[in-house]
Amino acid sequence: MSSLSEIASVDAAQRSVALTVDASLYPLGAVYGAAYVFLDRCYVLLDKPDAAHVRVTLSWKKGEPPEGALVAMAGEFANELLSCAWRAKIAEESRAVIESTTARALSGAMGAPSLDDLEKFEFGDEAFEDPLGIAMSWEEKYGKNKKAAEEKKEEAGK
Amino acid sequence: MIELRFHRDLYRGESVDAAAKALAPYATTIDRAEEPAHWVLRVTASNPERERRVAGEIANRALGITVRGAG
Amino acid sequence: MTQLVQLRKQLSSSFAMPFKHRDVGGKVLVTNTEGEFLLLTPDEFASFARGDVAKGTPLYTRLAERNFVRAEASSDRMLQRLRARKRFLSWGPNLHIVVVTLRCNETCVYCHASRADMGATHTDMTPEVADATVDQIFATTSPDVTIEFQGGEPLVAFDTVKRIVERARQKNETAGKRLEFTMVSNLSLMDEEKLAWLVENKVQLCTSVDGPEHLHDKQRKLVGGSAHAAATKWIRRINEAYVAMGLDPTLYHVEALLTTTRDALPRWKEIVDTYVDLGCRALFLRPVDPFGFADRTAPRVEYPRAEYLDFYRSAVDYMIDLNKRGVEILERFAAIFLTKILAGEDPNFLDVRSPCGAGIGQIAYNYDGKIFTCDEGRMLHEMGDDAFLLGQVGETRYRDVMSHETVRALAIASNLDAQPDCVNCTYQPYCGVCPVHNHKTQGSIFGRMRESSLCAVHKGIQDYLFERIGADDPEILRVFSQWTTVRDRVHFLQTCNV
Repeated sequence: MSSLSEIASVDAAQRSVALTVDASLYPLGAVYGAAYVFLDRCYVLLDKPDAAHVRVTLSWKKGEPPEGALVAMAGEFANELLSCAWRAKIAEESRAVIESTTARALSGAMGAPSLDDLEKFEFGDEAFEDPLGIAMSWEEKYGKNKKAAEEKKEEAGK
Repeated sequence: MIELRFHRDLYRGESVDAAAKALAPYATTIDRAEEPAHWVLRVTASNPERERRVAGEIANRALGITVRGAG
Repeated sequence: MTQLVQLRKQLSSSFAMPFKHRDVGGKVLVTNTEGEFLLLTPDEFASFARGDVAKGTPLYTRLAERNFVRAEASSDRMLQRLRARKRFLSWGPNLHIVVVTLRCNETCVYCHASRADMGATHTDMTPEVADATVDQIFATTSPDVTIEFQGGEPLVAFDTVKRIVERARQKNETAGKRLEFTMVSNLSLMDEEKLAWLVENKVQLCTSVDGPEHLHDKQRKLVGGSAHAAATKWIRRINEAYVAMGLDPTLYHVEALLTTTRDALPRWKEIVDTYVDLGCRALFLRPVDPFGFADRTAPRVEYPRAEYLDFYRSAVDYMIDLNKRGVEILERFAAIFLTKILAGEDPNFLDVRSPCGAGIGQIAYNYDGKIFTCDEGRMLHEMGDDAFLLGQVGETRYRDVMSHETVRALAIASNLDAQPDCVNCTYQPYCGVCPVHNHKTQGSIFGRMRESSLCAVHKGIQDYLFERIGADDPEILRVFSQWTTVRDRVHFLQTCNV
């Protein structure tokens, strides 16, 4: 079983501590999330010593770190990393309820748009994604396919 | 001189460039190099502590821009 | 071959509706998604978890009545309760905090408002900003509007207060909101003229009382006088004025709240007695927060949250005892949680709900017209952090404020369905997080609840309340039930002619 001291190594001369993170346990998004949280209090550099791991190096910003501070920072980073990883999983599993609550909260707060708001809204030609081609006319749909089939035939003949 | 190695799987090249550009006024030199797996910056400044700070700020900025772009 | 020892029977997944559980006071508390709860003995819980509860038994009946039994579950009941708990999502900010000046004539050791000296007139709200603030407020979709005057000390900018009240009333003639005004004041600049105007114009008054005189004056410095003497004098005077108007003193009186510092911790009895002597019916035992001056004075005022919870338990036990003897005094934190737990309603306390009220439930307007997600966000701005700045009155449209990416981010960050730890917590139906507190103390709006001092407070208070509920003392349950009873103070409604 790994302890913090086994996966985190202190470089006193560089005033930094490095952690090696198992990439199969912590998705990259979680590493980014945790690293971002620490940008204001230390310098953060990420690297990949091998395909299965990410190394996070946290460097003390100003002056000499108090005794134990680097290990404590590594410990806090590990906690934040776990938090980010778990949060990503929860968000994936609870996406529907999170989205519906947020949508209801914001729509309740914003209220219905006024005529001025609607006037400013950009109703473009491409209103929405249409993967099944439902909004396309018959001519558009089969005319395009017909043209593409002809172009493909021409390419194959070359 | 401080060498910063930004792994291509973890940082976007444009983010590294943007960070280097933003911090260039505070450095003496910032040299760029490319390796198969890394973007590399070599940073010099007027004294070791300043060099450390500039290199650190470049690293943070590159990460910040990469993360914001990944969202 | 090694024989494996079966440690326990497999738990049933078909008997129970989803639930969470926690050991509280020797019993096992179970809660479900819609916030129903039961306190079970360990043996009852084991039977429940195994699905080993025969139909028709008292335990089965208790479980079924609270929607814990899958075979008896009522989706209508569940939806009804969920709707009641989330009613506040239907509309926008009802609480509008207006900081009319940062100038203050007192210096408090824990001041989270970053007050300014009395000469700093540049921190007074201008008439133009005041007017634009009122116009912004009335764009809210909420049918209820409470304008809360804060500072600094709002009595320093009394003319601005009057201007805002008058303009708000005019706007409300067409808007038709349920409009109320409140003021948070140290009361030391009060005089009979101001009092007469405030009473006539139905502005509710709230002040701070840190306990007995020696404690209050140690923490709240008033040059040339006693802050405690000034506050208590005017509390009594204002309460007299309400009685003279024929208002029920049990309902109409000055509200007071406490900021619990380290010096307050051993003095819980004196503090409660002080509030009772002043005729206060409610006491809000707030822990110190990390904003404003409190950040700098933390070495002097801060304490481990376990010590705060010891203080809290002692104080509230004493208050329950007083209630049993006929003295009406409630603790506000307890009342907020008990309303959710016992009454199944949400009192819409913006700091303890999911999602929190930042932006969507409250807005703070600074003296210079800057708009913030909440008062804490505004306090961070005064500390140099603009993360929660949303715009400027007169320039940023209401819908743009509400659709601001920060408001969206806070709505997501404070949703307990998305929060590690909270998602599995037994108290999730009743609780809330503060993303601004997380940002300040832990570096991100999401935070880590296991390390959050605010989470420790919320969990500790709810542990205490459920322990007391689980004691099955009818007197305590009667007191708690009284604490959940909300009587509307209709006199303060601006549309009311009573």
